Amino acid sequence: MTAGPALRRVGIGRALGRVGLSLAIAFGAIAAGAGYWQVAESTALSHDPNDAAVIAASRHILRGTITDRDGNRLAWNARDKNGEPYRVYASPALSEVIGYSSIQYGNAGLEAAWNAELTGAASPDPLQDLTRKFTGAGPDPASLRTTLVLALQQKAVQLLGSDKGAVVMLDPRSGDVLAMASTPDFNASAVTNPTTAGRTFAALQSDPADPLLPRAIQGRYVPGSIFKIVTSMAGLSSGAIDLQTTFKQQPPAEKTGLLVDGFRVRDGHHPGTDGTALDYDQAIEVSCNIWFALAGLRTGGTQLLSTAQALGFGSSLPFDLPTVASQVTNGTGSFEGGFKDEVELANAAYGQGETFVTPLQMALVAATVADGGVLMQPRLVLSASNTAGTVSYAPTVIRRVVSNEVASEIRDAMVLAVNGSLGRPFTAGAAVAGLDVAGKSGTAELDPGVNPHSWLIAFAPADNPQVAIAVIVENGGHGSARAAPIAGSMLKAWQTWAGQ
Amino acid sequence: MTGQVTRQATGESTTGESTTSESAGRVAGMAGPAASRPVGLDTGLRPRFRGRELLLLVIVGIAFTAGSVSLGAEQRLLAEQLAGQPERLVLVPADAGILVVYLAALLAAHLALVLSGRRTDQVLLPAVGLLAGIGLLLMQRLPQRLAGNLGGLAHTQLVWLLIGLAILTILAVAVRGDAWLRRYKYTWAAAGVGLLLLTFVFGRDVNGARLSLSIAGVSGQPSELLKVILVVFFAGYLSENRPLLVEESTRIGPIALPPVPYLAPMVAMLAMALGIVVIERDLGAAMLFFLVFLLLLYVATARVSYVVLGVVAFIVGGAILYALFATVQERIDVWLNPFADPNGTGFQIVQALHAFARGGILGTGLGAGLPTIAGRPPIPALHTDFPLAALGEELGLVGILAILGLYLVLIERGLRIAASAPDEFRALLAAGLSLVIGVQAFIIAAGNLKLIPLTGITLPFISYGGSSLIANSVIVGLLIALSDRGPEAKPPAPPGRISRLRRRLGGVP
Amino acid sequence: MDPTVLAIWVIRLLFLGILYLFLFFVVRALLRDLRSAAREPVRELGRLVVLASPSGEPPAGSAFRLDSVTTLGRDVNNSVVLEDDFVSATHAALTYRGRAWYVEDFGSTNGTFVNGHQVTGLVAIAFGDELQLGEIRLRLDRPRE
Repeated sequence: MTAGPALRRVGIGRALGRVGLSLAIAFGAIAAGAGYWQVAESTALSHDPNDAAVIAASRHILRGTITDRDGNRLAWNARDKNGEPYRVYASPALSEVIGYSSIQYGNAGLEAAWNAELTGAASPDPLQDLTRKFTGAGPDPASLRTTLVLALQQKAVQLLGSDKGAVVMLDPRSGDVLAMASTPDFNASAVTNPTTAGRTFAALQSDPADPLLPRAIQGRYVPGSIFKIVTSMAGLSSGAIDLQTTFKQQPPAEKTGLLVDGFRVRDGHHPGTDGTALDYDQAIEVSCNIWFALAGLRTGGTQLLSTAQALGFGSSLPFDLPTVASQVTNGTGSFEGGFKDEVELANAAYGQGETFVTPLQMALVAATVADGGVLMQPRLVLSASNTAGTVSYAPTVIRRVVSNEVASEIRDAMVLAVNGSLGRPFTAGAAVAGLDVAGKSGTAELDPGVNPHSWLIAFAPADNPQVAIAVIVENGGHGSARAAPIAGSMLKAWQTWAGQ
Repeated sequence: MTGQVTRQATGESTTGESTTSESAGRVAGMAGPAASRPVGLDTGLRPRFRGRELLLLVIVGIAFTAGSVSLGAEQRLLAEQLAGQPERLVLVPADAGILVVYLAALLAAHLALVLSGRRTDQVLLPAVGLLAGIGLLLMQRLPQRLAGNLGGLAHTQLVWLLIGLAILTILAVAVRGDAWLRRYKYTWAAAGVGLLLLTFVFGRDVNGARLSLSIAGVSGQPSELLKVILVVFFAGYLSENRPLLVEESTRIGPIALPPVPYLAPMVAMLAMALGIVVIERDLGAAMLFFLVFLLLLYVATARVSYVVLGVVAFIVGGAILYALFATVQERIDVWLNPFADPNGTGFQIVQALHAFARGGILGTGLGAGLPTIAGRPPIPALHTDFPLAALGEELGLVGILAILGLYLVLIERGLRIAASAPDEFRALLAAGLSLVIGVQAFIIAAGNLKLIPLTGITLPFISYGGSSLIANSVIVGLLIALSDRGPEAKPPAPPGRISRLRRRLGGVP
Repeated sequence: MDPTVLAIWVIRLLFLGILYLFLFFVVRALLRDLRSAAREPVRELGRLVVLASPSGEPPAGSAFRLDSVTTLGRDVNNSVVLEDDFVSATHAALTYRGRAWYVEDFGSTNGTFVNGHQVTGLVAIAFGDELQLGEIRLRLDRPRE
């Protein structure tokens, strides 16, 4: 083996080459990884609320102010004795929607959702973000003009008083949220003020009334009869029912209860219509549970579920703030549409069963009827302005849920529910002088011995709707007891604001 | 041809040697002036101009100055903004003292190499100088109270860097033979393991890993020095037993396994080192030792089967570690999905990725990135484990690519020195030393970028830390020494002298 | 654009640019080395022909191409391994320095002989000279062109 060592030397050389090549490839992979995070993921990560720059900016930089749609200041900055800025809010009534921005406790509400823009970490105008990177200019905090009306917001909280509940008022044409109140509220300024923050926040967290929960978007309630509007949309648009539909089982069932699959759906007597087979308008007006149970069974679970989903049920709503999903059913049953059986479907059709809704979702149901069957995306921000200018956001259509004809049929029935001789007792207080109000009350039955939730959804003016509202008062009794008067007062306040 | 050499048994050698040495003496005497010239290895001071190194060092000097000025301007601007003063542009370096001292140290190292007159590599010193310079800029830029007891982060780093450069230079100038490394490989290995055991017994826990050993007030990470010792041992053992490892194999039925008896001492050594660092939860060092061992074994034997076996062992070992240690489980889980718990276990890596993302392509500029929350940078171990993330933010993708390029340069130079080494020990030693730097840079860079699970290990020459700087300086110093191409080709001797010599020797061409 | 911002941008980009300037010069140097290294194996500096080898390792008549440094001895780490009982582990080295070949004995037990004369230290040799290490005789030949 004369050439042995020489050959082995060659072997080392070749192996060295291969090792060198594999290291070069490994470093190439690092370069690719750096490229991925620094180019492909760059924008997404650096706008993330967890980004250190976003967090740092929120601590050191004066946030943009927040105003209502008329320019009234809702949130602005003050400075503590160290010269560090902290947030001040116009009213505790805003706490559940504007939220707070606290150095110690982070952000909530609109302050959290629009944090990047308010701190200037992200510009409302993507083009400005790009140029900012190159010019090295500092953050440019944006001020937000919201869709809210401060007076209506304060009025709603005042009307709810010491009760727990929520009021959501929308412009059905644009999805603009005019007021979104949840009670109990809290003093957000005390959370942000460094001297009172610790005390206030600890008290809020241990409060059994849970004031930190924005009930309007995260409270899930049994809807009761207001859900009949959803059943109406499903039934009327599918053709399962029409305005002339009557059920011959309905009059006798009012006395004995309706037997569905061995279970009795019971309903009280309807004064004035005892013994008559009701048509659609009358069934809405007197809010007949048995009629809607039968209508629901005829419409079918699949249709009811798909109409509800078109309205936004089943997933969190596309909104500035995080919402919980409303549901028609648990969806775990084997019956059509995920209902357990006919009994659950029949109960769901008049808003009992396993149906749970958020106040915002029911306000959107009212707004969809008001807007001729078109569901608009709810929104809180009209425009954002910084030194580069103002970016205005256009309303967004989510989808058409039902035809204009179906919407107007339901609207007519809801007008009767407020103004008709049979319906008036159920919605007493919702009517407003000089305003043609359409509405539907609800009494969400809970466990025996517990006062039901008091609901009302409405919109006005009926012939040209410009405002829709949903009101719930937890354990407030019948719809007419608490929700209807609050809705009436809110619509009156709106009338004053809008100059109607 | 008069050369009829008699067979010289030991008994006869005395006379034979005496006569021949006389004749050799005469030969030298006849050569006249040449006799005064030292023969064999040169020890005399014969300076040798290193043009390429000087040019590169000048570029390093300009780069470091520009970086320093960039940092200084940015820091001044931020201070003025904070104080609400009008912004004035003043172009001064961030810390003129550091700038001057560091560049002077590089120049001194260069002059020492020039004076030594050896024909050694001229790229390694400037490349290391630039990497360490970038690290020094980063240390100047970070909050000074992060670490260091010599007046803050940057000054402490500078002191270690000066010591490192001195060691590098001394090794590059003085190391000529390799017998002291080759012959005492087991002694070195034993010393290394002893060092680790000491750490294990007396060491201090840092972030759940027992990494640091404190002797007489100076604390260090012994695993950093152990990596050098292991490479020396592996190179010595492999070069001695290479023919056996290449040609022999242990057969179990039809499967040809590596020759177990010849591998055993080395595997035992590796297992001991791995065992200790794993128990000490220094997973980065464990990965480094294992990968370097595997690559070196491949270089020595060119057998792919070793690599396959090693990878299998790695997977099995990893699975065992995953089952045994909660730390390992957490590391792997965090690696797979750091965003699952961005403020808890995934905090560091998520913040690192955010830092890379904020940097983008061109970076924020030195001093303009790394937002502080309550005066602290977003990642606690920024100066040791995440310098690449910090540089990724401030220098951008462009800067990261340049840094990766510099490491590739170090690797290329090291492997080339290995390829042209005169013998196998030197070849394997040079290969192993350069692989240590390359693999270590890969492990931490890939960990920072979530390509592999994150392990705490330093980024060579950039990370803060004395042990790391010194160990890596030793490596580069040895590499430069190993690159010696021997005495320069001498000018042709006068023809008269050669022919006289030939006549004397009786050779007639 | 604000001159302050502009100046800072210029310095930042300058810094990054110099990093790449450095890499450019380094890569140029690497490529030069690579080219000269690629030339080297082609350039044969000399040949070592085995004239006599009692052990047959290396066999007589075989020839080695010589690099600028060739070590001779019994140890496997030598560039030319001489299996002979009278050859030391690391016996001698042939080095090409500039224009001449040199032989250097590493203090071997039985010495190195050039044309029958034992040598110590570094001694210049010429093509055609005969070397004897132990019982093995070798001849330094001109490179084949």
